[in-house]
Amino acid sequence: MSTVIDVPARFDEWAFDQFAEGFAAAQGSARVLVDAHACEWISPFGLVGLLAAGQALLEQHGRPAVLTAPADRDVAHFWARMGFFTHAKELFELHGAVPRVRGGDSRVLLEVTPVRAVEDVHAVVQHIQDRSAEILTTELGLDPKATMGFGMALSEACQNIVEHAGTGGWVSVHAYTWKRTLGKRVVVIAVADAGVGFRHTLEPTQAKRFGERWSDSAALEAAVLQNVSRFRDPGRGQGLAGIRRYLGRWQGKISIRSGTARIAILPPWDEGDDLPLREQLPPFPGAQVQLVIPAGAQETR
Amino acid sequence: MITQIDVRTILSRIGPDRRDLVTRPTGRAVRTSIETELAQLAGWSVVVLDFTDVRLMDLSCADEIVAKLLHAWVGPAAPARVCFLVRGLNDHQIEDVEEVLRGQRLALVAESQGALRLIGEVADQWRVAFERLATKGRSAAEDLAADLAWPLDDVRAALTELALRQLILEDAGDYLPPQVA
Repeated sequence: MSTVIDVPARFDEWAFDQFAEGFAAAQGSARVLVDAHACEWISPFGLVGLLAAGQALLEQHGRPAVLTAPADRDVAHFWARMGFFTHAKELFELHGAVPRVRGGDSRVLLEVTPVRAVEDVHAVVQHIQDRSAEILTTELGLDPKATMGFGMALSEACQNIVEHAGTGGWVSVHAYTWKRTLGKRVVVIAVADAGVGFRHTLEPTQAKRFGERWSDSAALEAAVLQNVSRFRDPGRGQGLAGIRRYLGRWQGKISIRSGTARIAILPPWDEGDDLPLREQLPPFPGAQVQLVIPAGAQETR
Repeated sequence: MITQIDVRTILSRIGPDRRDLVTRPTGRAVRTSIETELAQLAGWSVVVLDFTDVRLMDLSCADEIVAKLLHAWVGPAAPARVCFLVRGLNDHQIEDVEEVLRGQRLALVAESQGALRLIGEVADQWRVAFERLATKGRSAAEDLAADLAWPLDDVRAALTELALRQLILEDAGDYLPPQVA
């Protein structure tokens, strides 16, 4: 039996649960079609999340799922310029018109980039610091001090894949207008993998402590709010704490989805629109992280 | 004796020319290289870790380099008597390093805007004693007690603790901040 997973017309973090629901329903299907033909807009979270889905489907079925490219020429071009199809062709059987574009769009902060090893983390950070720091400061009005911390946050978010996911993942950085609550430009880092997820990573050291409460949400709480790591080394667990501190300085937002739960540290501008913790979401493998930094943010102490 | 270590030079020595201190393996490699230099030391030394030409440092490297050097080189079992001083970090980086150290009850001296300050986990009273010593320079406990208007025993306790944690130097009954030019 074949199952179709619809890619939402506007595919961002908010629409991800709708996508994950389709993904969960496709479990056990002999053939899966991921249908993006009607997609009109996609965020970096959507792009890297789609690749994570492709990887998970490939691992589950032993063969690639079909992905139909967006029918809208401009949308498909955008996906191509973001480097999506370069990686998608390794995971999906691509159908529809896949535009050929030259890479290296100087306005793109960071194309979809695979993260498999520490060398990839170095390359990603160096790219942002060498080529995108100017865009961050001049076009987005980020304080130069904020761009330095940006590299740190990017590094730590990517290292979570290398150290914990048990598989590779992807990262992408875009700037766009956050219409939903802020009404101004933001810089967004999206990182996704289809690995083992927070619960599995922390289970050997934390499950006993939480007892019956042990769940995806408990694992996210432990990692994000209590700086818990699977390693016993007291220096571990600092990465997410450092990201939180950085985002706190610049009125930024972090949200992490893993398994069936999502946790978010909300800045004042998003408190009325989002929830700090959501549980019983449609299951999706691995971890998906989004960091949002508003343009022109003033440092808070 | 003062030993200056340019962390960027070490970073470029261990691999492709980079300016960013990111990832744990890189931090470990930098620390190992620094420890090779520290192994040459004998007696008391002030070791300046100069980050001026490093573009950014993530928390993983702050832990792998700074915190783990303190674990290994501060205390009675340390291979040499070393007082570490970090230089060239901006305020945010100092804050990040401070958080990494606090979590492990560690502390070290940072040069920031031309002044010496303690970062990490240190009792408030010791911090005050350190700052006064850093301003005053070489002092006996009695001088510092008079200066701070504290009981001599309190000053002695603070200085002894600071010296034990290798945050200040002790020489012929006097105490010195790890002052460098």
